[in-house]
Amino acid sequence: MPLVTPTLALIIFAAGAVSGSLGALLGLGGGVFLVPFLNLVMGFPFSVAAAISLTTVIATSSSVSASRAGQQLINMKLGMLLEVATAAGSFLGGVTAQLIAQSVLQKLFGIVSAVVALIMLTRLRRRNVILDPSVDPGVLGGRFYEQESGGIVTYRVKRLPVAIAASFVAGNVSSLLGIGGGIVKVPVLNAWCGVPLRAAAATSAFMIGVTATAGATIYYGRGQLEPALAAAAVLGVQLGSWGGMRFGAAASSKWLKILMAGLLFILSAVMFMRGGR
Amino acid sequence: MSADRENVVAPPLERMIGVVLHAGVMASSACLTVGLVLALMYGEGGIAWVLLNAGVIVLLATPVARVIVSVVRYASDRDWTFTILTLIVLVELMASAAVALVFNKRL
Repeated sequence: MPLVTPTLALIIFAAGAVSGSLGALLGLGGGVFLVPFLNLVMGFPFSVAAAISLTTVIATSSSVSASRAGQQLINMKLGMLLEVATAAGSFLGGVTAQLIAQSVLQKLFGIVSAVVALIMLTRLRRRNVILDPSVDPGVLGGRFYEQESGGIVTYRVKRLPVAIAASFVAGNVSSLLGIGGGIVKVPVLNAWCGVPLRAAAATSAFMIGVTATAGATIYYGRGQLEPALAAAAVLGVQLGSWGGMRFGAAASSKWLKILMAGLLFILSAVMFMRGGR
Repeated sequence: MSADRENVVAPPLERMIGVVLHAGVMASSACLTVGLVLALMYGEGGIAWVLLNAGVIVLLATPVARVIVSVVRYASDRDWTFTILTLIVLVELMASAAVALVFNKRL
């Protein structure tokens, strides 16, 4: 375990700030950028990188959802239903992460990020938003005020089993790879389940706190979480996501998707090559 | 447009969860900030160790507290479906904590 020096703390704080702002812009926890940095650039073992990242994911989820509570963008009922699956997946992932080799985890990281980037790009033009406020959203659907169109967006949740399956997988990769799992859930909820991108991202951000906690607790008990490094990363991510959120409201959904996909392809290639060695 | 906004009023549960999350973030950030500064100045032992670990534990406990609030809220609303669903999530989080204690290398 690396000893905490002011330089190391500063580097990790800065890395947290960058990944936090990117994460906030893209509706992710930011872990998808922090894990590769800590593992590949800083040379931390994958499990140590994943553990630090999971704590930042929890912090981001809590603070972002706290500030969003009241805007109706978060679909609480859908989120809490899907948390049953994400927490189960995360619990199993946290246990299996202790048994799997680092190179396998790196390859898995590469595969997961590439698949998600592909999904995002192929679904770029999909429109599944019902702008008629008289539509009944049902128990699990939702409605929220959208600033971009200046109207109420109403939606029903379609293909619930798909959403549940994706949530289980998302929870599983969350603990295994130290990410929030938003990169798995958001595209699926948006592309197949009829949830508008902003609502899908907000609901996912809400869920990943519980998801990441199920995994992070196991890493912490295992002694793989260095609290001082986690502190530097968490505080950096808090600053970054606060900044990203201010800017995020102005960015359009389409460009968010393209930016997200591009970054994921690069990370995927690098991680996969590392895992292959 | 303002009339549209008024149709979308936040239900109490969402506000309660907002308060819980906000308090958790504030408390853990405070512990982590002071703990980190003390660790950098005097090393990671003593009060710095306590604060850093307290910060991490509060951070981990915040989503758990949010789930507990939801369980209570749905139960008092007699929404049994969601009471059970949120209870299952709570049990899953407890299982994770139990495994963490079994795996524990710190104690």
